[in-house]
Amino acid sequence: MASNDRVRVRGVTIHRPVIYGNTAVVLTPKEREALPSPDHTHRWTVAVRSAASAPDSDIVGGADDLSYFIKRVTFKLHDTYTNPNRNVDKPPFEVSETGWGEFEITIRINFVAESGEKAVTFYHHLKLHPWTAAGSGEPEIPSIEAAAKAGPVHSWQYDEIVFSDPYQVFLNILTAHPPTPLPKHRRRPVPFHTANPASLEASKGGTPEFTQEMEKEEADRLEKALKTIVEDTHKWRNKLIEKENESNRLKKELEAALQS
Amino acid sequence: MAASAADVRSILAIPEPPVAGSSQPTKKPQGSERAKKPDGIPRELYALIGPHAPTLAAQFTKPRLKQKPNLGAGGRVKWEWRPFKNGARSDGLRLSHWAKAGTDTESEYQFAKYNVQGTPYVYTQDEYTRLLEDSSWTKEETDYLFNLVREYDGRFFVVHDRYEYPNGPRRSLEDLKERYFGVCRKLIRNRPWIGDEAGKKAVLDSLTFDKDREVARKNYVASLEHRTPEQIAEEDALYLELEKLKENERRFKKDRDELLRTLCGIESGLPDIHADEDGLAGAAFETKRKKKGVVGSVEPQTPVTPSANTVISLPQPQPKKTSAKSAAYDALHCIVRTEVDQTSSSTKAAHVPVHLRSYKVAQPKAALAPRVSQLLGELGISHTRLVMPTRDNLAKFAALIDAAQQLVEIKKAVDKHDQDIQTTKARLAALRGETVEEGDAPETPMDVDDGAADADGEGDGRAQSVMSTRSARSRRQGRRSMSVSSVDTAGGPNKRQKQR
Repeated sequence: MASNDRVRVRGVTIHRPVIYGNTAVVLTPKEREALPSPDHTHRWTVAVRSAASAPDSDIVGGADDLSYFIKRVTFKLHDTYTNPNRNVDKPPFEVSETGWGEFEITIRINFVAESGEKAVTFYHHLKLHPWTAAGSGEPEIPSIEAAAKAGPVHSWQYDEIVFSDPYQVFLNILTAHPPTPLPKHRRRPVPFHTANPASLEASKGGTPEFTQEMEKEEADRLEKALKTIVEDTHKWRNKLIEKENESNRLKKELEAALQS
Repeated sequence: MAASAADVRSILAIPEPPVAGSSQPTKKPQGSERAKKPDGIPRELYALIGPHAPTLAAQFTKPRLKQKPNLGAGGRVKWEWRPFKNGARSDGLRLSHWAKAGTDTESEYQFAKYNVQGTPYVYTQDEYTRLLEDSSWTKEETDYLFNLVREYDGRFFVVHDRYEYPNGPRRSLEDLKERYFGVCRKLIRNRPWIGDEAGKKAVLDSLTFDKDREVARKNYVASLEHRTPEQIAEEDALYLELEKLKENERRFKKDRDELLRTLCGIESGLPDIHADEDGLAGAAFETKRKKKGVVGSVEPQTPVTPSANTVISLPQPQPKKTSAKSAAYDALHCIVRTEVDQTSSSTKAAHVPVHLRSYKVAQPKAALAPRVSQLLGELGISHTRLVMPTRDNLAKFAALIDAAQQLVEIKKAVDKHDQDIQTTKARLAALRGETVEEGDAPETPMDVDDGAADADGEGDGRAQSVMSTRSARSRRQGRRSMSVSSVDTAGGPNKRQKQR
């Protein structure tokens, strides 16, 4: 059996939907006084979680415990933090801190030994200030008071961790833990994403949740854009053929003129 | 009196008086008999059988046809001559036709919808050099072919009839079709496609043309047509012979089965013999099995043997059926199965390591990236990131990037040709000016021309450099694209933490 376990199951690709990102809230003046560094304005939590949200939970995602395939998540914070490399070895895979500025967090995921896979690394831009519509005339960073009123800021990215040709033993582990499917329909606000600025309004009013509808909505947007482009291409191609013909005609005329 | 009153009456065609004359005693009954002739019996038949018609005839007397449907519900339909508009016409010619009076005068011509235009396929110079090069065809001849096909609406017999390309080789109808369909297929395959793969495949299938097969088919038909009477006669004779043999075979087999049934009864193993009891049937089956070796020598074909079936079904490899259940299982566990290429040796180097789906997001070519991202931006699509980078969405995104690149390239080519046209026009004007003025001031227009060309060159260079810096930046962003908001806020006030 042991030798069997180290056999890769060819032709199988298996993925696990995850989300990563952060939630940030503005500190009250009282809380700020209690801190060792009173210039900090926000408390934030950066995390890697399963994509589906648990019912009646006030956090984004996290319905499933991911520790069956994740051994360790390392969050590399800004160098000015003490001990910037934060290793989290058991769920929840998250780090909470206070601060006043946005910066890039490097996230590394190590998988369990059975996977036989190396770590994956990606980045998350810590988001503290509320999302604003680009070009709406609003200041890019609203005032602290306005931000406090607007409630927690959420910045989450959906992604899928893809394992190709997994070892049989690892595949068994994965299939023993099927992920909670995303809800089909929207029950809570939509997580805002810069790639879809139109979702800003729908993202307001509470803890967001990822849904299958979002995937469908994006697919529709992509398809619509493709349709427009194909139609445009058709138009431009005809134009190009016309131009080519005209250009060839003129060149012939020119040759004839040169020879005469 | 030589002539009776009746004679006079008959001569003058005056009807008989109510009281018949004694001169025609036989006529009257005859007339009444004829009147009795029932409908539905032909006159000749009645003449033969006389009044002693069988009673059956009465049944046929009235033909039992359905009543004629009353079309139009009585009253005549009014028609009027009036002009109509045919939406399929491009020249706006007004023709008139008869139309029912009550109908809508402004309604669309009902036959206009049948004027369906085939999709005209055209290609650019770039597409031609990339995809459509063929050693036996020049672009000019291909253009000529496509123009003819368009002109004659895809009627290849007409196209072939009119095909007269100067100095070109002789083309058969199959040559033309092969070239035309081949080009169309290549264009469809390489252009972005809206809709699903099935639709694309259907269109591709409709454009399939197998030249060799078509030529072979025509040869067969021709050889069939060109048989001599002797050959036909021989064929018929052979066919008859064959039928006779078959008939003989059948009869022989029937006789033999009959004989076997009589001799061996149930042990013959023939299908349509019923045993008296079930238990006996089982036993008979057993004996049949045993006897098969003996009987089999007589029987070339064993009737109830499943072996033939298994032999046929065995070599067919059982295709991996994705039943609804296993599909649901795969969907639940997020598994995607692909065909494993058995020939490729499984080396560790080929292993795709674990990755985030978004690592594989499609990237436009560096040279085109700025214009592609601008184009996508106008359509409200980010060129680096997806909200939900699932498998399907990544595929859609890749198709979108591909299509956008094509569009950008076409637009670039249009710009280039615009420039070409400008310069050529300028040179032509210069040349003509020269010929008119007989070489008085040919320099000036040429200088201007050169200057313009130089300026264009500079413009290009500048654009290029701008593009390269931009694309470098976008590449850098691409590398960091895993973070949620780096693009949006990268240029903004990106405060760094400084702690004391």
